[in-house]
Amino acid sequence: MTTTTTTSIETGAGLAARAVSATKVYGRGDTEVRALDGVTVDFEKGRYTAIMGPSGSGKSTLMHCLAGLDTLTGGQVFIGDVDLSSLSERHLTLLRRDKIGFVFQAFNLVPTLTAIENITLPMDLAGRDPNQAWLDNVIDTVGLRDRTGHRPSELSGGQQQRVAVSRALASNPEIIFADEPTGNLDSTTGAEILDFMRKAVDEMGQTIVMVTHDPVAAAHADRAVFLVDGRIVDEISDPTAEKVLDQMKHLGHR
Amino acid sequence: MFKLTVRNLLRKKIRFALTTGIVVIGVMFVVGVFALTDSIRSSFDGLAGDIESGVDLTVRSPLDIGDELDRVPVPQAIADVVAAVPGVARVDGRVVARNTFVIDGNGDAIIPKGPPALGFSWFPTQFFLIEGHAPTGPGEFAINSTTAADHGLVVGNTYGISGPTQQRDFELVGIFHFGDPNEDKSLGVTAAAFDTTTAQQFLDRKGGFNELSVAVEPGADPAVVEKAVADAIGSKYEVINRATKIKETQRDFNQFISIFGNVLLAFALISVFVSAFIINNVFQIVLGQRVRELGLLRAIGATGRQVSRSVIAEAALVGVFSTVIGIVGGLGLARVLRAMLRAGGFSLPDGPIELRARTIIFAIVVGMGVTVISSISPARRARQISPMAALSDSPRLTASSLSRRVRVGGLMVAIGAVLLGLGLFGGFDTKPLLLSISVGAILVFIGTTVLSPVFARQLARAIGWPIQKLFGVPGQLARENAARSPRRTSSTAGALMIGLALVSMAGVVGESIKQTFVDTIDNSVQADYFIQPASGGFDPTAGFSTEVTDKLAALPDLDLVVGYRFARNSITVNGSTKSVFTTDFAAGTRHLDPNVLSGSIKDADPLGSILLHKDPARDLGVGVGDTVVVGFPDGKFEALKVAAIYSDSSIYDNYVIDNAMWDRHFNRSELIFATASIRGYSKDLPESQRAALLASSAASIERVTRQYPTIKVENRVKFRESQQARLDSFLITITIFLGLALLIALIGIAVTLALSVFERTREIGLLRAVGLTRRQLRRAVRWEAAIVSVFGALLGISLGLVFGVAASIAIPDTAVKSVAIPWLSLAIYVIVAAVAGLIAAILPARRAARMNVLDAIAAE
Repeated sequence: MTTTTTTSIETGAGLAARAVSATKVYGRGDTEVRALDGVTVDFEKGRYTAIMGPSGSGKSTLMHCLAGLDTLTGGQVFIGDVDLSSLSERHLTLLRRDKIGFVFQAFNLVPTLTAIENITLPMDLAGRDPNQAWLDNVIDTVGLRDRTGHRPSELSGGQQQRVAVSRALASNPEIIFADEPTGNLDSTTGAEILDFMRKAVDEMGQTIVMVTHDPVAAAHADRAVFLVDGRIVDEISDPTAEKVLDQMKHLGHR
Repeated sequence: MFKLTVRNLLRKKIRFALTTGIVVIGVMFVVGVFALTDSIRSSFDGLAGDIESGVDLTVRSPLDIGDELDRVPVPQAIADVVAAVPGVARVDGRVVARNTFVIDGNGDAIIPKGPPALGFSWFPTQFFLIEGHAPTGPGEFAINSTTAADHGLVVGNTYGISGPTQQRDFELVGIFHFGDPNEDKSLGVTAAAFDTTTAQQFLDRKGGFNELSVAVEPGADPAVVEKAVADAIGSKYEVINRATKIKETQRDFNQFISIFGNVLLAFALISVFVSAFIINNVFQIVLGQRVRELGLLRAIGATGRQVSRSVIAEAALVGVFSTVIGIVGGLGLARVLRAMLRAGGFSLPDGPIELRARTIIFAIVVGMGVTVISSISPARRARQISPMAALSDSPRLTASSLSRRVRVGGLMVAIGAVLLGLGLFGGFDTKPLLLSISVGAILVFIGTTVLSPVFARQLARAIGWPIQKLFGVPGQLARENAARSPRRTSSTAGALMIGLALVSMAGVVGESIKQTFVDTIDNSVQADYFIQPASGGFDPTAGFSTEVTDKLAALPDLDLVVGYRFARNSITVNGSTKSVFTTDFAAGTRHLDPNVLSGSIKDADPLGSILLHKDPARDLGVGVGDTVVVGFPDGKFEALKVAAIYSDSSIYDNYVIDNAMWDRHFNRSELIFATASIRGYSKDLPESQRAALLASSAASIERVTRQYPTIKVENRVKFRESQQARLDSFLITITIFLGLALLIALIGIAVTLALSVFERTREIGLLRAVGLTRRQLRRAVRWEAAIVSVFGALLGISLGLVFGVAASIAIPDTAVKSVAIPWLSLAIYVIVAAVAGLIAAILPARRAARMNVLDAIAAE
């Protein structure tokens, strides 16, 4: 655990994460692809942001870089006050473990661990005891009380995703990144998950950044940011599905 | 389809290299052993012909049982008779004896390791002088050039030679090449040569010859002369021609090389068997990873048969490739083995390493057989993959049901156990015995592997429990990963299981032998000193002369010295061939007490009786006072009275005669062992008096034995220690050989783990994303390997214990009477297995840790 990450909480500048002129280039010369082309964006604490954009727009790359899973070619990203480009691989891992929660589209759970073990995994990895009251709160909120001893293979897709959301919430992280969290679910189950995430922001004060191309999902957020060709082209506050759909048509893609 | 097979192989280069590598090791070993033994054999076959050049016919006494050197000497009178036969150009009486040790300039005996120390009468067509002259007169000898060079023997110097009956000084007058004019082909024997008269006397031939070498006059027909000689010498002697003689010489050597080759081959086949386990495992895993792809093939129209054929074809390609590399590598390995054996003290001839057609065929059978047979069950499962697999989210192979596993595995173990039991206790001859035991063991091993997935999950969890306690989440991941695929864990551990089963079995048998020995020394041996050949073993071909024991017996410090002799398969008892042991009936039991059940040894008539162990007595249906007919190598028979029946065969073996009886029928007088006791010594004496007696007697003995470097004398404590040390070093040798199987098993663990890591790419990515550090990830992979290794070790040791105890019970009491289990060694094996697992996992763990988190998450 680093002193830098600790101080960042105390400084608490109101921002959970931000990117400054973030650039990510793949390949070189003729094959060069600019996945991120000077993205500057802030994510406030306690807010729910959707990153929207067509396939290949760079939205996943932005999230991966913000979450410390990938590194930038140029510019900076911060979690709180911590400049991720200054961290070693090991410290990035510790930062992810202690400050960030993740929900992926699929394959969110370790198949050999039970639901509760998956939920507490980041804390177990850190050797920390979970805050039991918070944990109970999370588990009850997502309604998993009677499923904690099951293994992922014994859970439905929706239940698995709820376990994943619980894991992201359990350590009370500074920010949660969700990558198409409902992409593999039917619409009813998907709506449930989105509601949980909404609740996490409203009732638990969590910060969520969600990558999606589903306008219905984006409508759950406080704010939608639109990415095209590695640039931020627009953003909407309090998006509705219609507004988002409109905006996307406007962008001239699918 | 075939093109796809090839592409598939090439795409996964590392996997291909590892699979191939495992098969290559097996093929290499088999080829190496065959090529080495073949080349040793053929260079000896050539030598056998060289040695007999110039000898057309050989005249000697017939020999029905016993050692070649037990032939009754041919007297000079017969030589004269043969010389007078028309067509005979020349008759040379030849003398040869074992136990003729030259003592070098430093006073150390020159003792070859393995081959005998021979004494000869000078024979010009066999010995080719390179320095000095042939020995003439009673004080001269010549030596083969390798021995002279290795031990710095110089023409003109005088050296002591310890012969079969006495030790004397001789002047070295000549150095010769043995068997070949251009190079010494002594193959590790030391060859001391004397003139014929000296040889007859010094080598104890009682005025006769071992055999007569006859040269036929030029132009005469050897067959005609052979017939004439046969008529002249009568039925008491026999004549053979050169071809027969060469064949006999080759046959004798072949027996030795076959034993040596068979032992090596056994280890080679064990390594092949272990490889088969790993190959099968790898094919199964790889198949599991390709289910979706094969499902796609089925969806676009490939038949089930085509799919399964492509799996077998892939295996066959691996087989072909490995066989070719294995043959080339095997030729190299043969050289390495030869160099290693030489470094270990075995003298092996030079010459090209031979690759015979049979070796190539065997290599193909092994290389192709192992891979293709290993791919049969994966291929059958591949056939069952449905086209739907291509569309399914996480396609899986259907696993065979547990109850079927229990039935099949249980049946195999049961049949294997019955075969093992039959082999051990059924009283078979050597060949069916070995067949029954090896097929039984193979069935038990395969059956256990089929059966073990049933309990693999629970056992792996149990083994992993302390690791989880110790290492937290990485420990838990290791534990759960080891338990998640019981089938894979079982077959990965299977290879290690076999190796450790064999090592533990050897350990149990070895410990039992040791225990038997210690029990015997403590309970049945009353002697204070033990006189043995300097090489330290009970080697019937490395005896010492009675001159030593006579001198010791003359010491006032000692009250009794008893000498013992032994000859393998050299007498017949009521018609069947047996080994015989000798002692001094009158006094021997004071030193070595075989626990007499009935009759008396002390009062037995040395020249009219025999002692029997209770088992042969029962088999023969005789009791004390009954008579058995005993035949000897000299062709004579005697009716001997059973004077005593005893119960402890670990000292005297099964049949005992008196030394006087031996002298009557055997032409060799060397002892293999002797014991001595201190005058006035008793366990009841005070400690200080005992120490004083031990010290003074040791000093007296030392004054005698100083002149006899071919023997060593040890007191009780030392003797016990040195014999235990000998057994230990023998066990270590076996363990090192079996270590090869363990090495292959570890490679198997590494390969399986690498494939598992690859298979779990996404899971690893997820873990890394949520905060598993690289160090924690490496730790999880390493401890998973440790758990699998310990799982295999526990299975192997359990089987080894059962095998070992069964073998210890089955081995005759002569060698193993009490069963002992080396718990400490077994515990060490488990720890070694765990550590080895950790080491095997280093590379897969590193590979897992290097995985890019994003790639891992995105992996399909």
